[in-house]
Amino acid sequence: MKGSEIVQLIDTTLCTACRGCQVACKQWNENPGLRTKNWGSYQNPPDLGWNTWTLVRFQEYVDSKGTLKWLFRKDGCMHCTDAACVKVCPSGALYHTEFGTVGLNSSLCIGCKECIAACPFDVPRYHQETDKVLKCDFCYNRLKGNELPACVKSCPTGALSIGRKDAMIEKAYRRVKQLGGDANVYGDKFVGGTHLIYVLGEKPEVYDKLPTRPAVPLTIIAWKDWLKPLSLIASGGVVVGAFLHYLTHGPKDTGGDGDQTDQGGGK
Amino acid sequence: MIPQKGMIKVSDAFERIVHWCLAISCIILMISGLGMMFHSFNFLAIPVGGLKNLKLVHNFSGLIFIPSLFFGILIWWKEAGVFDFPDDIEWVKCAGGYLWHVDNPPETGKYNPGQKAFFLAVAIFGIIMIISGIIMWFSLSFSAGTVRVMYFLHALGFLVIFPFFFIHLYLGTIGVPGSFPAVVTGYVSRSWCEKQCSKWLREIEEEGKLEVFGEEKTVVEHH
Repeated sequence: MKGSEIVQLIDTTLCTACRGCQVACKQWNENPGLRTKNWGSYQNPPDLGWNTWTLVRFQEYVDSKGTLKWLFRKDGCMHCTDAACVKVCPSGALYHTEFGTVGLNSSLCIGCKECIAACPFDVPRYHQETDKVLKCDFCYNRLKGNELPACVKSCPTGALSIGRKDAMIEKAYRRVKQLGGDANVYGDKFVGGTHLIYVLGEKPEVYDKLPTRPAVPLTIIAWKDWLKPLSLIASGGVVVGAFLHYLTHGPKDTGGDGDQTDQGGGK
Repeated sequence: MIPQKGMIKVSDAFERIVHWCLAISCIILMISGLGMMFHSFNFLAIPVGGLKNLKLVHNFSGLIFIPSLFFGILIWWKEAGVFDFPDDIEWVKCAGGYLWHVDNPPETGKYNPGQKAFFLAVAIFGIIMIISGIIMWFSLSFSAGTVRVMYFLHALGFLVIFPFFFIHLYLGTIGVPGSFPAVVTGYVSRSWCEKQCSKWLREIEEEGKLEVFGEEKTVVEHH
């Protein structure tokens, strides 16, 4: 697996919501479990958090035929190829790893929270006490050691698997073909392709908190791809321009007929 | 830099203090902002011990910028915030004689249209910088969509303010000799005034409010 772009395939149709991945994630990353309140759902904790990088979402859904379905979706960082968080991160704490995933070097994080606003999937979470942002890093340290990510390792049903990008995409489409109906592959077609890809049993719009058309927000593109180079050009332009102005046009003559002698700038 | 006899007072102490609070906070904000905006400028964080401290420096100099801008607008909006038609248009047409040779550039009041544009850019985009900056600082209290727009506006503000700032710096020092004492001692030479703000000089002389260094206040009497 080393040295190639890898993808995690999440086959939601095989998930039994045992939450083994959620627990394994916490255990490997040494994230504490904090006390939560029963809010009428097995989904616990209720949301992703600084200490919860992987969360199985529980959702009751009645389809068009009136059948009640219980949908489970493992939520977390999607590891975008065109990652908005990496684009905005001022310190380089967020970066693309050699596996194509989005790594996080916490020691560089300055807690500016720009990634939180930029992420189209609403994944990064802020930890007040340490002034750091945290998220899943695809078990980068395990990948480096040629081990499966903790979540994949723990999955008893085969809902989670990783492999080379092309192989996993092929596997996903094979599975969707087999499932038929509304089943679809989610993730390979936007933000340059995510490194977490879903096989969804239902249409994407059915799922809670799952954007149907995720993209790097336009304001982020305008900021990083347009305004940044433009401001460099403009700033450099005036500095060079002022210098050339001084050389060619020269300073303005503000002297009189000898009535005042002190014309010094900054003397 | 000691004013000489016959020099004309163009700014009072409060004005000069506000000018420097604005200038210094602005320069710190731009340097620290640059250090965070471009990875290639990350090294600007070294003197303060890292980007995290640079973020703090940026945020807290923003707090100095806020009252400075407030008083700056209060002081200068009347003289620098309102264009004077049609005279200012004539000035703009020949760029005040700053870009090519103009025999007799149109006369201006205390501030020329270029300076007025600078004032307006700093006033308007300064307010935008403050609002967007505060929202970015406490970004978790706002929706992601709102915060994203604030990042855009904050970057736009730099794009607008920096060129104006640098031209201001250039023309306030070596570009127009004799200007710099206006923000240090507050006094400039009469010939500088005649070239830079003749209309203002005439008006203030007629009103008898001219303060000349080494002379008694309001010495001018009406004929």
